Amino acid sequence: MTNILPLEERLAMAQTMTDQPDGPGKRIGKRGELTMIGNVVPGGAELFRKRLPQFQAEAAYWEGRVGTVQSLRILLFDNDTRFVLSLLYDGDFKPYLVDIATQAAPWLDALADGVLEGYPGITSPKAGEWVISLLHPTEFSYAAHPDVSVRDLTRMKKLSAAVSDLLDAAG
Amino acid sequence: MPVQLELDDIQGTVLRNRPMPYFGAYLLFRIDDAKQARTLLRRLLPYVTSAADWDRPVEDAWINVVLTFEGLRRLGLSETILAEFPVEFRQGMAARKVFLGDVGASDPEHWDMPHGANGFHVGLLVMAASDELRQQKLAVGHEALAGLGGVKLVGRVDVGVPPNLREHFGFADGISRPYIEGQGGAPLPGQGEPAKAGEFVLGYVNELGVVATGPGPEALWRNGTYLAIRKIHQDVAAFRKYLRDNADSPAGQEFVAAKMMGRWRSGCPLALAPEADDPELGRDSRRNNDFAYYGEDPDGRRTPVGSHIRRVNPRDALKESLTDARLHRLLRRGSSYGPMLPEGVLEDDGQDRGIILALVNANPGRQFEFVQSQWINDGDFVSEGSRTDPIAGRRDHSADYAFPARPVRRRLAGLLDFAVTRGGEHVFLPGIGGLRWLAGGGDLQT
Ligand code: HEM
Repeated sequence: MTNILPLEERLAMAQTMTDQPDGPGKRIGKRGELTMIGNVVPGGAELFRKRLPQFQAEAAYWEGRVGTVQSLRILLFDNDTRFVLSLLYDGDFKPYLVDIATQAAPWLDALADGVLEGYPGITSPKAGEWVISLLHPTEFSYAAHPDVSVRDLTRMKKLSAAVSDLLDAAG
Repeated sequence: MPVQLELDDIQGTVLRNRPMPYFGAYLLFRIDDAKQARTLLRRLLPYVTSAADWDRPVEDAWINVVLTFEGLRRLGLSETILAEFPVEFRQGMAARKVFLGDVGASDPEHWDMPHGANGFHVGLLVMAASDELRQQKLAVGHEALAGLGGVKLVGRVDVGVPPNLREHFGFADGISRPYIEGQGGAPLPGQGEPAKAGEFVLGYVNELGVVATGPGPEALWRNGTYLAIRKIHQDVAAFRKYLRDNADSPAGQEFVAAKMMGRWRSGCPLALAPEADDPELGRDSRRNNDFAYYGEDPDGRRTPVGSHIRRVNPRDALKESLTDARLHRLLRRGSSYGPMLPEGVLEDDGQDRGIILALVNANPGRQFEFVQSQWINDGDFVSEGSRTDPIAGRRDHSADYAFPARPVRRRLAGLLDFAVTRGGEHVFLPGIGGLRWLAGGGDLQT
């Protein structure tokens, strides 16, 4: 803990949070954030836990398809009566909502139907409104690589694996 | 079951191609008197060309009528109906400048074409096969206005196709368009699966499998749609100089231009002729659009992933990503305005010239605005960070362009504002029945 940079240099790396240009949420660079808080349908928590293992197991596949979600968390609180869903993702939110709906509807619906209060189904024309109605603005957020998208990461990983292979082969 | 489009109720410009060469005009009016504006619509109705009349018009000339949100409000449409229109249309394009990237030189404060918030309420689109016929149709407009002091002309832009049949940067244009289910005729090779009619006309099933609808009673919106109109100034001298500065031979300049567009200036696609132009292929409508990207060219070695045509219509290239390209299709009605900059001239002559695009879309948010904000003005969707369209993109976030080349990829820096927005608006293009409904009073409040 000895090598902490002086204040001016620490501030030189500052990230500024801005509003999403269209739709809700804040962003750092081009990484958007979104936090929803809502009610759980009575008895919904039980259903939720029953479905979770399948949801978790399929997450990589579906999120891979969506391809722009950096991280996603869901938790229940207040004796299982309320939920928090929070998301860090690439780019704009509203323009992509229909695409997300068409790509990952079966997965999202299989978890949320009958669990999240008011959930209209992600393909419903009311889905956007429902999401927006539960949003809570973020006060603080941080992204390690505001200029790198999930797609970029996937590509870089491929590239660096190829380079490693090359070096290994040469060695 | 095949889709039956009600061609005699759809305004012609939605489905029908213009003559070539052609002479057109955009006439924009402000409405100060609702009753008189309805009279104008009533007088124009007999002259409005439907898609059914298009190929056998009384004469080779066409009139279509559009309205902005403010125009509908001034016609007296009730607040309940107005509130149901899509938010992009209600706000108007100028208000959406940050999202659409209309900043700097493209900021609405510099626009010279009126928009909904400063006087454009109703518009006439006139097209004709000759200048004389254009004049005749304009005369129809004049007559319809007789005695109507409450409707005033606030803007006019004459459009057409320059004598060399190219847009101002020198590219053949008007080649690729979606084939719409039920439009008639047969698709051309490369048009792929027909697009659902509901992507372009209200009242039909769209790509989401639901019927695209509009606000208020069906009589208002059925067979109507929206146009995203963009007036874009082209800095031809800057574009030519840029090519000169980034290539060491005329052939090299053509190559750079082709890599920016995705097609050679002849219209010949890089996808089918990556090394050298093939003008004959460029002219052949059965071959010049017959390509896709995913299988043949995933990394953009032929058609760079950041080139204009691959951005605005990625075809099958995004198959493995979140984006369903079929939800973001546009049908273009483009035309040029202003005099050509003579061949070879590299200094700007101060004349205004450019392109006026009328992009047909039943859902302006998911179609035009998506394409403009995500595909033209950003690069994340193809792992290109903040890089933008080398022809039509904003330059404040990024001004360089890269494409695969041998032995190493080529990077072009210092792209300029080749295209500057000078006007734009989302307008509603009602069906003929919708126009009649509006002209007749509908639910009008006054
Ligand atoms: C100065 C600005 C622009 C110029 C000079 C320009 C020129 C061209 C040219 C030469 C083509 C290829 C020929 C063809 O397929 O017809 C093309 C294609 C296209 N452009 Fe543009 N364009 C401009 C702006 C825009 C904008 C702002 C949009 C939409 C927001 C757009 C949408 C399209 C579409 C959808 C295609 C068809 C691509 C395909 O299907 O392969 N263009 N443009």
